[in-house]
Amino acid sequence: MYGGGYTGEPEKNQPQAQDDPVLLAEFEAKIDRGEKIEPRDWMPADYRKQLIRMIEQHAHSEIIGALPEGTFITRAPGFKRKMALMAKVQDEIGHGQMLYSAAETLGKTREQMFNDLLSGKSKYSNVFNYPAITWADVTVIGFLIDAAAIVNQVINSKGSYGPYCRALERICYEEAFHLKQGHDAFVALAAGSPMQRQMAQESLNRWWEPIMHFFGPSDKMSVHSERLMRWKVKLASNDDMRQQFLNTYVPKIWELGMTLPDPNLKKNAETKQWEFTEPNWDTFFKVINGDGPCNKERLAVRKWAEEKGRWVRQALINPKEKYTLPYA
Amino acid sequence: MKIISLDPRISRISELPGQDETVIVDHQEGWITYEVFHQKKTGTQHTHVGIVHAPNAEMAIIFAKESFARRGATSNIWVVKSEDVTALDYTDSDIFDTTAEKTYRDASFYKTRDKIDQLKGNEGHE
Amino acid sequence: MSNPEYYNAVKELLYKMADDELIMGHRNSEWTGIGPVLEEDIAFGSMAQDKVGHAYNFYQLLHEMGEADPDIIAFQREEKKFKCCHLVELPIGEYDFSLVRHFLFDHAEYLRFEMLSNSTFEPLANLAKKYKGEIKYHVFHANTWIKQLMNGSEESKARIQPSFNELFATAYSIFEPGPFEDTLAREGVFAGETVLQSKWEETVSSICSANGIILAQVNDKSLAYGGRKGYHTEYLSPLLNEMTEVLRSEPGAIW
Repeated sequence: MYGGGYTGEPEKNQPQAQDDPVLLAEFEAKIDRGEKIEPRDWMPADYRKQLIRMIEQHAHSEIIGALPEGTFITRAPGFKRKMALMAKVQDEIGHGQMLYSAAETLGKTREQMFNDLLSGKSKYSNVFNYPAITWADVTVIGFLIDAAAIVNQVINSKGSYGPYCRALERICYEEAFHLKQGHDAFVALAAGSPMQRQMAQESLNRWWEPIMHFFGPSDKMSVHSERLMRWKVKLASNDDMRQQFLNTYVPKIWELGMTLPDPNLKKNAETKQWEFTEPNWDTFFKVINGDGPCNKERLAVRKWAEEKGRWVRQALINPKEKYTLPYA
Repeated sequence: MKIISLDPRISRISELPGQDETVIVDHQEGWITYEVFHQKKTGTQHTHVGIVHAPNAEMAIIFAKESFARRGATSNIWVVKSEDVTALDYTDSDIFDTTAEKTYRDASFYKTRDKIDQLKGNEGHE
Repeated sequence: MSNPEYYNAVKELLYKMADDELIMGHRNSEWTGIGPVLEEDIAFGSMAQDKVGHAYNFYQLLHEMGEADPDIIAFQREEKKFKCCHLVELPIGEYDFSLVRHFLFDHAEYLRFEMLSNSTFEPLANLAKKYKGEIKYHVFHANTWIKQLMNGSEESKARIQPSFNELFATAYSIFEPGPFEDTLAREGVFAGETVLQSKWEETVSSICSANGIILAQVNDKSLAYGGRKGYHTEYLSPLLNEMTEVLRSEPGAIW
């Protein structure tokens, strides 16, 4: 799973000095023709940098995302939910594995990416800094966060970088299962006892703001990313993705008789656009900068996992082997 | 530090690294990479599906199986050290350009019907 | 075949196998998302899922024999009714501990399933055959890790051997004989725990000696017994409480 919205660094909107204008023109022509860029292809330095940044954040989001859901891995109620949750959390790690690999083809090793995650230098999707308090939170994550992630990932899979597109294709296939099982588990609560319905409703209320934050700040306030669009690194605006998500999933929530904690949420019949109360973006930036409810725990757990696993990895190092960047 | 987590697994951990504790993963701990090739069923091609990090080929096979073949049909998997792959640069991919005149390599270039018809003198059965 | 002793014997066998698989799978799933290497996290998670899947199918067989629904058996039975062995109940410890337990348990499972694939109780024979491939991978995984870590660093050697010291005697809890050993053997359902135990000892000791692992002589194997009779370690009860926490929060609800 993944949320975009903060992948682009402020850019100067001009080719970097070291980029050969002839090669750059060829590169852009290639992308215009709909061709993909492959790892050992020539690419502008900034294209490489932005892609590493984006894919790496996506990968971090997967392995950090495994933690809020993992909160209930030992407590899932009944065989069906237990098996599904075990498989789903495992898939998130698998997605991380594939995405780190895709980023690695661009020249940054997995270990460097881990280290930037652990030091706080590199970010991950904000939504995973929120706690899964009840079982209903796991169903909301599985249903709605995965749904939002699919919107993002399906769009990104049409991007220009070959390995990222290929990884996303595999990921989207698995996300379809995630969304289905999440929806199924959410519907079970909505159709359940008054206590279960209440649990689901409270969870929706808790998660609505993080979900509205998921696609990042409104295009009106986010950095100009025309060049990333031209290079097919970014393919849709934050607002477009949010609209697409609301359009598909708000009706699926409402049809269950559940409510969303925004009295202004409605689809404008004329513009066909969803209207909503702007979420508090100060909260969003505060959480990104480390001050969310679970930031400290998430990073502490990842640090613990790396530290505890170190002897296993070290034991099997063969110093004669020479590391080379993966091919694809 | 000790965290009372919502996740009972985390609560069981007696000591978690604190915020200012630096944890660094050494580059060698990532081992090397193996390219993974997956064959759906016998009689089909092995297809490149991704990579795994592994210390050696045996472990790479163990990892590749669950990383890339835990869903759907699989009959076989290969792993190849990334280092052992030889490839051309994309900047040289113009060597694959085929000029239009090389139609003599294609079946459609060879048109014999007319001659045979002529030989038969255009008479009799079609 | 309609004699009640036969069915009771089969049920007893199924219960202990299913409970072992459920608790082992549950324990191993605790590593999901926090394992030592991404690829290994995925592999270990898959095997945990396989185990819980096996448990479900054994409970399903029991259900077809008149017992309660798998969800009820697994999530609503009191601790004393569980027949799992002590080995699977222990907390996950560090990764060496979990790997060594996986090695000891899965070899027994592999051999048990091999024996059961000729069982006269056909539904069980069919399941044993069905899982052959899965458990073959589990054993391959376990053997490879043990071999490589014993040929790895000083630290890995210094971790694996003590984990064997700690777990080997408890592994005999797997082979605690049940009340129906004779019936099961006579009817050709299962040749018995004693037969399984000696096959297991042979395999495990040959792999261990090939990798420089010393296995202590276990004089009184029955010290690890009790699980099959419903007497468990102090770790099972909290595990079950945790596993059923959500389910218990609204009895009778569908999740």
